Formats: sequence, structure tokens, C-alpha cells
Amino acid sequence: MPLRAENPLHLPIEKLSLGCPVLDRLLGGGAPCGFVTELSGEAASGKTQLCLQLLLSAAAPRSSGGLSAASLFISSEPPFPLRRLLSLSSGAAAPLDHILVSTAFSFKDLLNLLKHVDALLSLVRPPSGRPIRLLVLDSAAAIFRADSDDARRRSSEIFTLAAKLKEQARKFNLAVIVTNHVVDVFDGGSSDQHMGNYLNLSSSGRKVCPAMGLAWANCVNMRLFLSRTAGDGNGDSGTGGSFGRKLQVVFAPHLPETSCEFMIRREGVFGVATQA
Amino acid sequence: MFSDEQNLKHISTGSEDFDGILGGGIHCGEVTEVGGVPGIGKTQLGIQLGVNVQIPIVYGGLGSKAIYIDTEGSFMPERAYQIADACIVDTLESFRFHRKGAEDCQERMQPNYFLANILYFRVCSYTEQIAVINNLNKIVVEQKDIVIIDSISFHFRQDFEDMALRTRVLKELSQTLMKLAKKFTLAVVVMNQVTTKRTDGSFQLTLALGDTWSHSCTNRVILHWDGNDRRAYVEKSPSLPQASASFSVTGKGIRNVISHSKRVRMM
Repeated sequence: MPLRAENPLHLPIEKLSLGCPVLDRLLGGGAPCGFVTELSGEAASGKTQLCLQLLLSAAAPRSSGGLSAASLFISSEPPFPLRRLLSLSSGAAAPLDHILVSTAFSFKDLLNLLKHVDALLSLVRPPSGRPIRLLVLDSAAAIFRADSDDARRRSSEIFTLAAKLKEQARKFNLAVIVTNHVVDVFDGGSSDQHMGNYLNLSSSGRKVCPAMGLAWANCVNMRLFLSRTAGDGNGDSGTGGSFGRKLQVVFAPHLPETSCEFMIRREGVFGVATQA
Repeated sequence: MFSDEQNLKHISTGSEDFDGILGGGIHCGEVTEVGGVPGIGKTQLGIQLGVNVQIPIVYGGLGSKAIYIDTEGSFMPERAYQIADACIVDTLESFRFHRKGAEDCQERMQPNYFLANILYFRVCSYTEQIAVINNLNKIVVEQKDIVIIDSISFHFRQDFEDMALRTRVLKELSQTLMKLAKKFTLAVVVMNQVTTKRTDGSFQLTLALGDTWSHSCTNRVILHWDGNDRRAYVEKSPSLPQASASFSVTGKGIRNVISHSKRVRMM
């Protein structure tokens, strides 16, 4: 790639719809292409649901906010939720035609896979007849879970993975979505004192923080946090859910720190519009 | 002494308090390192400086252009547009009563004009990063007063089999940047990530790239959280005292913390 200066006015700025106008508005249009977006949250917070919705959105025609493209879903926590995907896709014609699924269980597997994906992304005639424009990794945390004794190696692997994902995002104008787990935060941890808004995150009444530490936090372009309000969801009776769910922008270069409630229904994930 | 005084060109951060601890803004002719945790506002500051360097001379700016080297892919044109738009509105507002010469730069006071004058480089590896930086002397001929690198560290934190090589490459990189800054009276701003370091059994935040790099810049500014507020701290500088100031990241870009500016106004 020739290293020439580009005019910011001519940079591509496509966004992939999340499949819900309220959530799209929160994110200024959706998940940006060319960007690594992290979706973090505790188990059953709705990460995978949102990923599935993005897969369908990527395949949807441009007229409805999609990219009319194919996507690649890399799972490190099988099984792939096929049934849920099919139930979400009711109406769409043959959704699976444009979704490639693969698995990776270790850093080595994953990096090899991504190197093969380069070839796939470069094909002039992609397998499903459409270019791949969305890459989902669900989850990164499972790849790096083994709290390895070699922190230094782990951190350099995290940066290597991030650089590869960012290179592909940029080169092929992919939206890259990576899910992450959360870990509990204990008060008084001296290293967390200056982390600022990390400390304001909580889910199900626990103080939590996205997993994989500061190294990984340095690697994502945008961090989104999905949470559940503990038990007392009845207070939010207006939302119609049995408990409250929240999507929070922790940091993003183009967005303020905002949040929005959402619910998961049979038909999908929906943001709850707040009355102004 | 005379040549030193010529170096006294500054680029505003957008916040008067922040500018205050820097002695007027980011210094041209020097390398300034800016470190901080993800989300603290390093990229915001980078974009803000890329915009502010373009404020026309009749409005008290440098009327210059910016070079932006993006190693992380976090530069968002829509955000640059917002910041440029707000910068233009605020600049025109504060010069409401000084119309002299302003007509000449009406066409310059457009957000798209500002965006087009940010020369943007996206680098995807450390070799690309070095190539771009080594070629800067060919691009920085005239009318460019700032180079922003966001960040210097990302591509150097991957598998580096030969750590001695990394140290050598970083050292050369910093020398190139220093020379460039001096020769062209250029402000070089390098963003750096933070990492945790274990000292005496406890973890502490420290800037990435280790000890060799930490001697590589003229000035070092740390952005950090203080509760829910953002603060900037001059940690190292040959000409400035250690000092800190709060700032905020608003829809318009980097600005003073609101409560503080109110207090100033009352006085």
C-alpha cells in the first residue's frame, strides 16, 4: 500500500446498522466500518444477540441500512446459536448464504485463521457472491482466558491480534466486532484508581470492568458495555422487560459518553427511546 | 536568545487552563509526548490541535496545516468536522468586533476546508510508521506547523522478537522527530499508551515503551482522571514548572471545565 497522505474528506465513513433505529441513533449511525468495536458485558447481557443482529444487518440490502454483504463469524465459544439466528431472520431470504462461520480456540488458531481470511477477503469473486464486510469475534476473552503466568507474552499477543484485526478492518473496510467478558472490580485496587470511567460500570449489582486488562483496552477503537440492572427491574416498568438492560458507550472517538436502555425480545434487540 | 524567541509559536489546546500550564499551548519546535488511559481524550486532543493550528493569522492563529499519522485507526472525520465547526464558530464569535482583514479568509472558515488541510496518514505496521516518519522532511516544507502521531506505541507493543532492535528503532525514531521539530520549527505531538508496571508488589500506571523511550521527548504531559474530571499534568519539561489543570471533552472539542470558566467570568 503506498503511503500517501489522504484527505479526511475522502475517507470512507460507512456504518453498519445494528438493526434498530434507536441503537443506531445512539451510535451515530451504527458500527463504523474500518473500526474495531468492542461489545463487553457479563454472560447473558445480550452480546451474542446483538452480534447475530449485526450479521443479518450486514446481509440486508443497503436500502434498509445493511451493507448487502457477507460476514464472517469466528466463535471461540461454540456452539454457534443457529436456531436463534434463524428465529431472528424470519422473513429474510436464506440468511445463511451470506454468513461464514468458523472457530478458533487459541491465539495461534485465531491468527492462522485470520491469515487465511486475508485470502478470502481479497477474492474478486467471493464465495457467496458478496464481499465480506463484517467480522465478528465472539469472544476475544475466551482466547485469552488462560490467565497465563506470562503476562508479557499475553500482552504482546493481544497487540498482535489487534493489529491484524485493524489492518483487515482498514484494508477491506470491514466492521470488526469483538465481544469481551467482564471481571469483578474490587475496591481499593490501586491500579484502578486512575482508570476513571471504568469504575462507574456495574452489572447485576456488581462492580465490573471489561476483561483482558489495560492492554486490550488500548487496542479497541470503541468500547461498548452491556449491562443488566440487578433484580429491581420492576422500577423500570415502562421498558416492558422483566429487568432493565443498558447499552453504554464507555469510550469512542466520535461519540460522547452516552447510554440507552434496551430490551431483548423474540424478534430481536431493541433500544428504548427516551422521551426528551 | 533571538532564535529561541522565534520558537515561541504555540498551538492552543482549546482550553485556556490547559494552555496555561503549557505556557500558552503546545510549543512549536519541540516534541511533546501525551500519555493517558484509553478514553481520556488523547485522540480528541490530537484532532483538536490539527484543527486549531489552522486558525487564520488574522484570528490570532498560525494559519497553518497539520499532518496526522494515525496508527490506531481512531481518527473519525465526522468528529474532526464537529471540532472544526465549533472552532470556527467560537473563533468568529470572539472576533465579532475585529472585522479587519477577516473578509479575506471567509472561504477558509469552513469545516471542510479545515478537514482538507489535515494531511492524514493511516499506518498499519511499525515499518509503515517508520517509513512515513522518515519521509516527513519531504512533506513538511512550508505551511505545516504540527505533526500528530496517534499513537507512537501501538505497533511497537506486538511480538518484537528482538527487543534490542525495538530499542534501536525507537531511538532512531525519536531522534528523527527531534531533528524535524527543530529544523522546521514544528510541533511534534506523540500520543503514548499507558501500561501497568509492578513496583514493590503493587501495580502502577506508567507510559508504554519503557525507559529508553521515556528520555525521547522534550515535554511530557499526562492526561488522567480525577474522579469524574479530566486533568492534564506537565510531568516533564525543560522550560515549564510541573503543574496541572482540569479540562473537559465536550461536543465542541477540548474546552475548560465549565464550572471553572464561570468562576473566572464572575471575577
